[in-house]
Amino acid sequence: MRASRNAGLALAALIALPVVIGAAYATFAAVGLVGAGARGATSAALGDVLTDVAMWRGLGWSLWIAAASTVGATAIAVSVAVTFRGARTSDRVGRALAIVPLPVPHVVAGLLGVQLLGQSGWIARVAHASGVVGAPADMPALVYDPYGAGLILTMIWKETPFLAVVAIALLHTRGAAAEEAAHTLGASRLRTLQWVTIPLVLRGLLPAVIAVFVFVFGNFEVAALLAPSDPLALPLLIEERALDPDLTRRAGAYVTALVALAAAALAVAVHAHYSGRWSAEHS
Amino acid sequence: MTRRRRRSVLEAVRICAIVPSTGRAVVRAFVPMLAALLVGCGEERPSGRGISAGAAESAAEVAALPWDSVIARAHGTTVVWRMWRGDPSINRYIDEWVAPRLRDRFAVTLRAVDGQGPEIVNQLVVEREAGRGTGTASLVWINGETFANLRQERLLGGPWADKLPNARYVDSSSQIIMRDFEQDLAGYESPWGTVQFALIHDTVRTPNPPRTFAALSEWILAHPGRFTHDQGFTGMTFLKMLMYAEGGGVQRFAGGFDSTAYVAGRARVLAWLGRTRGAFWREGTTYPPDVAAMHRLFANGEIDFSMSNNQHDVVTKVRQGILPPTSRPLLLRDGTIANAHYVGIPANAPNPAGAMLVANFLLSPEAQLEKRRPDVWADGTVLAPSRLPDVWAARFAAIERDPREIPRDSLARYAVPEVAPAYHERLSADWRARIRTAP
Repeated sequence: MRASRNAGLALAALIALPVVIGAAYATFAAVGLVGAGARGATSAALGDVLTDVAMWRGLGWSLWIAAASTVGATAIAVSVAVTFRGARTSDRVGRALAIVPLPVPHVVAGLLGVQLLGQSGWIARVAHASGVVGAPADMPALVYDPYGAGLILTMIWKETPFLAVVAIALLHTRGAAAEEAAHTLGASRLRTLQWVTIPLVLRGLLPAVIAVFVFVFGNFEVAALLAPSDPLALPLLIEERALDPDLTRRAGAYVTALVALAAAALAVAVHAHYSGRWSAEHS
Repeated sequence: MTRRRRRSVLEAVRICAIVPSTGRAVVRAFVPMLAALLVGCGEERPSGRGISAGAAESAAEVAALPWDSVIARAHGTTVVWRMWRGDPSINRYIDEWVAPRLRDRFAVTLRAVDGQGPEIVNQLVVEREAGRGTGTASLVWINGETFANLRQERLLGGPWADKLPNARYVDSSSQIIMRDFEQDLAGYESPWGTVQFALIHDTVRTPNPPRTFAALSEWILAHPGRFTHDQGFTGMTFLKMLMYAEGGGVQRFAGGFDSTAYVAGRARVLAWLGRTRGAFWREGTTYPPDVAAMHRLFANGEIDFSMSNNQHDVVTKVRQGILPPTSRPLLLRDGTIANAHYVGIPANAPNPAGAMLVANFLLSPEAQLEKRRPDVWADGTVLAPSRLPDVWAARFAAIERDPREIPRDSLARYAVPEVAPAYHERLSADWRARIRTAP
């Protein structure tokens, strides 16, 4: 028993190791001790990045994209799980259709987003052909747009299946007993849905929701295809600085990466804190 | 207690979910570092296999040997070449034309791996920090800022390039080939190809395109929403040409970075953009990320001009079906930037002899001719036809001329050279801060 626990700990440590080493390296690089263009300890990059408007706008924008995509995908995933929970053929078809995008790589999803949602995309062409808009360019801009509408739609489409799979499994394994208890106590179907089923799914889904939030926040390839140049999404800003021909700017990439890491870690920590409180309340 | 410990394990696993969020750039920096650390711990010898006794020698030492000895040392070895792998036509030329010939004639295995410009610099810095004697790549495809960075960080081996037997064919009278962004090659890189910037237009949509920056400005104002440039290297090259044109010609900026000249040139660029930017695509509030996105917008009819650092790009892209068949390259008469690209040997190259053999083969008339073919890559040659044996000079002259190509004499007439890399760096940084992130 003890041996297996130690093995588990070692495995967990091994998984965490690249993050720890990476964060340590980034910290050293951020203060000019290692990396290309390093010229000895300095807080110059720290000051530059933390006072850089583009960085804060990028951070805020990436958080907005992550939050909107996560809320959208979660809402659809829970609706799918609740609506198609039965054993009828239509239920099975509904569940199957909702997880179709699961195997699609993110970069392919991004390209689909460009082809479909661009001002010269398929939707714009259909709208033009059917007379809804005068010219394709009159379509509202959904790609490279300041609100990231195309990016959010693409991310919702791509992340919904993952959350739906988890939500369907949760409802299947945990749903029936609690709902029957509610019924027995006289709750109506709507009340049961509102007070038992949806909270149950949401709470169980939360780790997956946090994972999606953190993933979307840090996603590079879809943002590179669909995001505007201003504000520049944080992962794109990191890439741009890491590849800046001026070597003295490289340290700024590491500072920005550490800010991104801190934001993602904060999301995980908030979740860990509240899930700890919940499990304490319910055990 | 146990519960807390279990929590901490879970926590560690959860934190790992953050890894993708740190961005591709950081992963790019960390992965080679970890790999270098792990390999460095595991074994003393470099990981490259089939490296001959020449492994410990530097490029400069190998260059001092007679060429026969270089060939002998390269025999049976592998050369890892770090290069941009983003274009299928270039990859096909390397993997299916160059590599088999090197294997058959010299028993050298060529392995091209991905990595361009700043990534090459980052990789070599990481290898140096990992404390390994030899690195992974023996050859790198570079120019401009990358060459400057690598020289500044002392990460290139040399001099060696002038010792290549085929170096005698190189057009050494060309300032575009013999000066890399005004830098002396000093034998630390060997010329490989030349390109020249061109706008791309569609003869159906714009039969009479503007041919100067002044005319372009008028055209943009008369056709709002139909012009933009990208945020990458090509877009910045466009702005640098604008700086030459509006700022009194390239000679104002030649001869090393001059802060006063730059500030004056920048003011002219900002003034031109101030007049026209409101009529750019999306009112100049957002810019396509790269040339691929520019080509897509152009092909889909959202904008009327694309652009490329390679004047022959339109030839290959039309053949690939990416651009419409009626696309044509367009040179602005104010001057369009021409530059050359090169191969270098890292200071920690495991196989400098093999790298020199590959570099020499790349300079051979047959390899340069194949690369120049419109259906292969259409990359300009660095060889001077007048220095070649007659039979090869005739073959270069006979290459099928695509109707979409710009004649050689027009290219030469409007070609302007690159200036010191600092101009490009400063202009990029200022464009990002003052135009892209406009309040």
